Amino acid sequence: MHAVFTNRKAIVALTVPALLVMLFAIVAPILLSIYYGLTSWAGFGKLTFVGLRNYRDIITADPTFWHSLANAVILALVTIFIQNPVAFVIAAALTKVKRSRIFRTIYFIPAILTVVVVTRLWVSIFNPNYGLLNKVIHALGFSQFSVAWLSNPSTALWSVIFIMIWYGFGWALLFYYSGLMTMSPEIEEAAVIDGANRWQLYTRVVIPYIFPVIQAVLIIDVISSLKQMEVIYLSTNGAPGDATQFIANYLYIKAFMYSQYGYGSAISVMFVVIALILTLVTRGLTNRNPGVEL
Amino acid sequence: MKINRAFLLLTASLFLAATFAWANGQSESTQTQKVVIKVADNLPDRTNGMGLVTQTILDGFTKAHPNVSFEVESYPDQPYQQKMKLYATAGQLPEMFKYWSFSTLLKPLVDGNLVRPLNRADFSDIPYLPGALDSNVYNGKLYGVPVTADMWFVYYNKSLMQKAGVAVPTTISDLMASIPKFKAQGIIPVVTDGKDGWPLSITYDNLVERLTGSFDTVRQAMARKIKFTDPEFVQAAQILQNMAKAGLFQSDLVTSDYGASRNLFGQEKAAMYLMGSWELGLVSDKSFSQNFSDNVAVAKFPVLASGKGQTNDLVAWYGGNWVLGAKSKHPAIDEELIKYLAHQWGPLTWGKQAAIPAQKIQPNETDSPLAKAILQIAGEATSTSGTTTLDSSTPAFKETHQKLCIELVSGVLTPEQFAQQLDAAAAQAAGQ
Repeated sequence: MHAVFTNRKAIVALTVPALLVMLFAIVAPILLSIYYGLTSWAGFGKLTFVGLRNYRDIITADPTFWHSLANAVILALVTIFIQNPVAFVIAAALTKVKRSRIFRTIYFIPAILTVVVVTRLWVSIFNPNYGLLNKVIHALGFSQFSVAWLSNPSTALWSVIFIMIWYGFGWALLFYYSGLMTMSPEIEEAAVIDGANRWQLYTRVVIPYIFPVIQAVLIIDVISSLKQMEVIYLSTNGAPGDATQFIANYLYIKAFMYSQYGYGSAISVMFVVIALILTLVTRGLTNRNPGVEL
Repeated sequence: MKINRAFLLLTASLFLAATFAWANGQSESTQTQKVVIKVADNLPDRTNGMGLVTQTILDGFTKAHPNVSFEVESYPDQPYQQKMKLYATAGQLPEMFKYWSFSTLLKPLVDGNLVRPLNRADFSDIPYLPGALDSNVYNGKLYGVPVTADMWFVYYNKSLMQKAGVAVPTTISDLMASIPKFKAQGIIPVVTDGKDGWPLSITYDNLVERLTGSFDTVRQAMARKIKFTDPEFVQAAQILQNMAKAGLFQSDLVTSDYGASRNLFGQEKAAMYLMGSWELGLVSDKSFSQNFSDNVAVAKFPVLASGKGQTNDLVAWYGGNWVLGAKSKHPAIDEELIKYLAHQWGPLTWGKQAAIPAQKIQPNETDSPLAKAILQIAGEATSTSGTTTLDSSTPAFKETHQKLCIELVSGVLTPEQFAQQLDAAAAQAAGQ
């Protein structure tokens, strides 16, 4: 074993396949997207080089792009400030419950369903005439609140965000539960003996301890908020107007429905840049309390 | 360090499995006697309508040529279009596939040399309707065989109309006045595919014609002789928006796709269905009740009492066609296949009452009442629109037109804003 680790040739031979995969699967497509972003092309047929026109149009003349980005940021904020605290509280509660496995399984079931199943399920529930939600609202006597959840411009975005939060909840719970389980009970007992009440216990001891987990979850949340495509495509396709449009769905529409492949590629490059910036910002904002290195 | 035996066994078996899978894939392609032709269409229901016609033709061809078999991919309408565009980008278009003759769809494929020109002489003995075959000609060459003569009207359910006490509407104001009567019975007045947007775009064209009396008005705007910001276009947009605001359509209009809206009509939740003549197969769809089949009928698009358009001005065009992909290992068989399909299509489509084919047909006494009614509407038409505005320009214009119509009916845009943005899109499309 020692021989393998010090043999340069062996190291190269073993890491080259993985590097090649990364090169072809990640680096090459990004470079190609940058190239296609500089063209006007339908995906087939004549390809015209237009320089930075697509990028200029996205930044200065495309309200849909900025609206999609705003929707992604709203989703990220809702995930960070609503889904994560709820997941954390439930995870903390589950660490204290004896038969927690059944609850963990139930909470995790949405996460293992495919996105098609989840979206079609909620589209049916949100159906204004025949959906479960409006029927329950009518039955409870609140008929004035029964609206076309996914078609009404004021409720569409929140309905779609709800679907995404519901779908991703199991993952957040899983991460927090695993993080909390790594904490040994002695630390908690020591804090309680020192006179910490529950609030102080969690804010001064537990959260700083699992901060690397929280940071990882936040970064994943930000990235996945930007990447949302399937839920939108299967439910509203961005309608009404741009109310529920997200960047990944918008770039798909531009590339394959408008047949503006070059423009779609330019959007994807902007998307990578924005995702990198947001990741660095999130890391920067959350690096104040290093906690324990995982 | 001892290499873990279990790990070695797992890796070895994975490697062997992969090798077997690859070898298996190889052996199928070395059998040269059998020919597998890839076919794709937007007709997933093979038990009814044009899906049944297509499958019957493919099965018939296999009977005549036992060495030929087909790999068929069928998707619903809009996902199908996107899939074909994806295939075009990847250079993997099927050998024969259903498409549309429009400049928004077929022309880009022609320009990219992705479809094969056909031999016009192969189809000279088919009694196509005037202009049907020509709608598939680009740069002097024939690229597709037309399948249907498409017309735009209002299907309705006689029993639901009776239940609500509504007579078949002949004017837009009749239509609007019927809304409360339907709502009182819990019936949706009109359904259409709002999610995809193109039915709204076609309806908009129809409304402009009902106002001005001519299908040329939109053509002139597209040719930039007049602007879409002129009063008649804004007024038509206002009418369409008023229809949506008054609750004429299903309340989830912009999230109901093609299948969902068709089902609402077929399941008798809606009294009327704004759609085209290719849905003749509604009457024989086994997933709908007998009551529906007995009561489905069709009416001409209503007129505007204050407008110049007449009831016999019909929005009609040639849309769907079948084309051959340019890349093929056996072009001769493909050409024979499409020739066979073109010859079988008319008699079979009319025989199975699936749609109105793009050729002259013989009416029979045994035709369903719906088919007879459609033929009558077609026969009484005094002027027709030709290709709709939506599909007469670039793909980007088409998507913008659809999106603007969706925004108009959702109330996101005012009719003036709609007209402005439509005009800007038309100017941009004309400039390209």
